Amino acid sequence: MKEIVVGIADLKVSRNSDDIMVTYALGSCVAVAAYDPRARVGGLLHFMLPSSSLNVSKARENPSMFADTGLPVLFKSCYELGADKRRMVVKIAGGANIIGDASYFRVGQKNLTTLRKILWRNGILVSGEDTGSNTNRTLRFHIQDGRVLVRRSGGSLEAI
Amino acid sequence: MKINARILKSIKSLPAFPITIKKINRMISSPDYSAKELAGVIKYDQSITANILRMCNSAYFGLRHKVDNVQDAILYLGRENLVRAVLAAGISRYFKKTKGYAVEGIDLWEHSVSVALMAQILSRKIYNQEDPKLFTAAILHDVGKVVLGEYVCASCKKIKTLVSEKGYDFLEAEEEVLGVNHAQMGGEMALLWNFPADIKDAIAYHHRPDLVRRKSNGLVWLVYLADQICLMTGIGGGADGLAYRGLKEAFDKFKLRQQDVEEAMILLLRGMEDARELLDIVPDKRSVPRAAPQERSLRY
Repeated sequence: MKEIVVGIADLKVSRNSDDIMVTYALGSCVAVAAYDPRARVGGLLHFMLPSSSLNVSKARENPSMFADTGLPVLFKSCYELGADKRRMVVKIAGGANIIGDASYFRVGQKNLTTLRKILWRNGILVSGEDTGSNTNRTLRFHIQDGRVLVRRSGGSLEAI
Repeated sequence: MKINARILKSIKSLPAFPITIKKINRMISSPDYSAKELAGVIKYDQSITANILRMCNSAYFGLRHKVDNVQDAILYLGRENLVRAVLAAGISRYFKKTKGYAVEGIDLWEHSVSVALMAQILSRKIYNQEDPKLFTAAILHDVGKVVLGEYVCASCKKIKTLVSEKGYDFLEAEEEVLGVNHAQMGGEMALLWNFPADIKDAIAYHHRPDLVRRKSNGLVWLVYLADQICLMTGIGGGADGLAYRGLKEAFDKFKLRQQDVEEAMILLLRGMEDARELLDIVPDKRSVPRAAPQERSLRY
């Protein structure tokens, strides 16, 4: 069993059944786990901001920073390892917000809205999620069977 | 403000704030400090010396020659970096030991450094310059958690329930359960340690800058903003998550836009990479090393 840590603005893919991908520190950032159960190929993206239009050169340097540049790389990297688009199962977590309605602080909500729009446009369903609220999350993703477990700060690991 | 008697007792038994840091800070803040005199003070503090040399020889500075003495290090580092190295070396021991608020993969020290860096990012954006005092206030903002940590540990469930089921923010929950919140506690510690009034305020009101009565110079608001943005980015203190109230005035005050926040988050990731030397600071012998090497939570 090998733990692979996915950092902030980071992306990892694997087809090694022993691997467990972990991403800590999901605040307003969002983690997207994509999995092909037949090929047993999985990828985990931890993006920080919704749109690459904010800083195009940064996006070129590290596409995983943004939803709109990170998602295509996530899926393509999975296909390269043998995953098939029609079988992909997608689960998401994160996108928390500071309490209150000042929009400046609602990066989490913006992240989720953009993510959903992109997935919807590409006909991809979200089959499990733990999003929003004002909590931190840690996510564990088992490549063996595609299980995604999420722990809210101070809570226990729960499957989504 | 009613402070739980037990907690009040533990604040009295706090170790003194490292005297060397105070002395050094005072010397650096005079515009014409002498490297020689400064070196004379620093060299008696083993931990600060070790860390200054380490920073100086880090990839960040990319010097050709190895720096092997404090006086040369002072000249190479310059004022801003000197403040950082001295503070980091002197206080990381408190933060690294803190329990209670920690969540997997992130420690309070990492959060403190991130808020200090974010405060400087904002200061550059707003005033076109960095501010050593701001760095000090920001890196110390959560010092109250050092004392409250063990109480939060024991009452974590109660606090969590208030936050998740009763709609409390984390401060309100701490007050209800412990009789004091970590910001107030930090303020008490700053008072005990004789910090300047504006740094004390920045610590005591870092979640509620709107409640500061003293005429403020923006320090407390910048620490507040920096903290909130770091919490959002996920370089958080831990168990409290994002359970704090957003104050819109903070943005109006500095004429910041949403886009500025997002850009600051990008700069922070880069900054944290450069700050490895501050994060992996050499613990001195008074500190308790962490039990097991933890996997780093941030990778770039």
